[in-house]
Amino acid sequence: MRLPRFSPTFYGLGLVLVVLAILAPALPILSLTFLTSLLIYVALAYSINLITGLTGYVSFGHVVFMGTGGYALGYGVSALQLSPLAGVALGGAVGLVLALGIGIVTLRFRGVYFAISSLVTALAALQIVLVAPALNDGQGIVLSVGFQARSVFYSIWLIVAAEVVVTYFATHGRLGYGIRAIKSDEDAARALGIDATRLKLYVFMLSGLFAGASGALFAWFTSGVFPYVMFDLTFSLFMLAMIIVGGMGTNVGPFLGAVIVYVSYWYALTVPSLLGLAFAAIGVIVILVALLIPEGIVGTMRRHFPGLRGILE
Amino acid sequence: MVDAGSVVLQDLAYGILEGCVFAVVAHGLNLIWGVTKVVNVAHGEFIMLGAYGAYFFSAWFGFNPLLSAPIDALIGLGAGLLFYFGFLHRELRGKETVTLQTEMVTLVATFGLALFIVNLATSIFSVNPVGIPWNPGVVRAGSLSLPVGSLEVAAISVAVIAATHVFLTRTYLGSAIRAYSQDIAAAQLVGINPTFVAAVATALGLSATMLGGALLTVWVPTGINPLMGQTFAPICFVIVVLGGPGKMWGSLVGGLVLGVIINVVPAFVAPSVGASLALAIAFLVLIPVLLFAPEGIVR
Repeated sequence: MRLPRFSPTFYGLGLVLVVLAILAPALPILSLTFLTSLLIYVALAYSINLITGLTGYVSFGHVVFMGTGGYALGYGVSALQLSPLAGVALGGAVGLVLALGIGIVTLRFRGVYFAISSLVTALAALQIVLVAPALNDGQGIVLSVGFQARSVFYSIWLIVAAEVVVTYFATHGRLGYGIRAIKSDEDAARALGIDATRLKLYVFMLSGLFAGASGALFAWFTSGVFPYVMFDLTFSLFMLAMIIVGGMGTNVGPFLGAVIVYVSYWYALTVPSLLGLAFAAIGVIVILVALLIPEGIVGTMRRHFPGLRGILE
Repeated sequence: MVDAGSVVLQDLAYGILEGCVFAVVAHGLNLIWGVTKVVNVAHGEFIMLGAYGAYFFSAWFGFNPLLSAPIDALIGLGAGLLFYFGFLHRELRGKETVTLQTEMVTLVATFGLALFIVNLATSIFSVNPVGIPWNPGVVRAGSLSLPVGSLEVAAISVAVIAATHVFLTRTYLGSAIRAYSQDIAAAQLVGINPTFVAAVATALGLSATMLGGALLTVWVPTGINPLMGQTFAPICFVIVVLGGPGKMWGSLVGGLVLGVIINVVPAFVAPSVGASLALAIAFLVLIPVLLFAPEGIVR
């Protein structure tokens, strides 16, 4: 059988995912839980990578999509009696619509102005959820769906797989060139006839879709939604740190960054003397990467070893 | 019996007084943003450090926040120089315009700094809030009652902003800073050392920020904690955009607008939703400003 011509990393990522899917039923529940939470962060990293990594629009408030996605599942499961899986779909849909609404307005702003408006949107969303009567007045919603470790795992697996495919197509071909042109110089891209407004909105909506679905999944995984958890800016910071470390806009960077950041964070949590310093260490890593290798691990490897370019694309 | 009118009047007075402090807290961000075109994402963390400075000077030496503020300002000068040479110099050196690439790198690097400071502070100070026992009494004016501490702090805030304005418009170094902020290449042509000017502006910016942090403690009497920066930083971002980066009076106008929104909106809605709604409006006011007056509402 002849394989279609995709890059080696694409096949590599696919292989990792397939191995995970095959291993999952055999794993003890603790490892499966760890793997699930890791994959949630991988999914979040891929989602922010679509907008921040690909177009260079830094979204500090990306947690807003995660939070609304989680609340969509919470509301759907508790008030509308949906199944959790339908709740995840609802979360994705709500994330997509919210990204459309926010994106139409804020994607006009460039650079720091977009970053700040995304930040205040997330903060305002938290304040609104805190007082929304339909969402239990900010008291949170406890879900009684039970702990379905395997269904949760395979759902997040599916989300990550979809994200890898979407990221691949958004970095290659005609679409990829258009998006890359926007990142390098938006005005020049427009002059060349690229419909930057529409392209940015599309990737932002996809980003919102995946962040919403991942947020819903997080709510399912933790059996509840609480405003200060679902809209915790720490998630935004985590997502950003992951793609910064791994390499913005690359196909394998978010996966690599998420694994590095999450595993070191998780390790620091198990060592009592390091508690609290885990995030500080992540901060130092982010500073060093931003100042010394702003393209992240994958981007820097691509720059210094041109021979690897065919593999890393 | 308190009538609705005097409640609104009282809230308005609080709003104006708190707005003055917001203004000076945002002023440091405004200065750095306006001159170097870099947005310091760790701004809130420097506010928090300023507040802790005031707390420790109070705990160790019995200083009130007004006495601690100038000491904080001196510490801020040093911190600003370190910050400039540690974070901004590599990116700004030799550049004649600040590109989106530079913006992105500095956003991300200062974001890492914010993560670092806030988590180090959490593990050193613990998340339990602390406070400064300082209560100089209350002045009554008609139906209004105004805390003396907040009056004094508001006066100092306005004085600091006025002093920066005078410095930037009436002194040689101030003119050099303004020249740099307008056109780096032209400033170099007339013999201005870009590194020196940018470093001075950054140091003054962080100095004002930490001074503001000390003054802010009057408004959060028992709420000094490592996470307070994450509340005030977004407010400062909105204030600076509202006033227009680089416009000194912009911080004052923006600060007053936000102070009034945050204090007056709760008077018009149910008490249970007031505080949240006021904050949501204060944050979202940024969007129409960016859409319709992207240069800020101050001319």
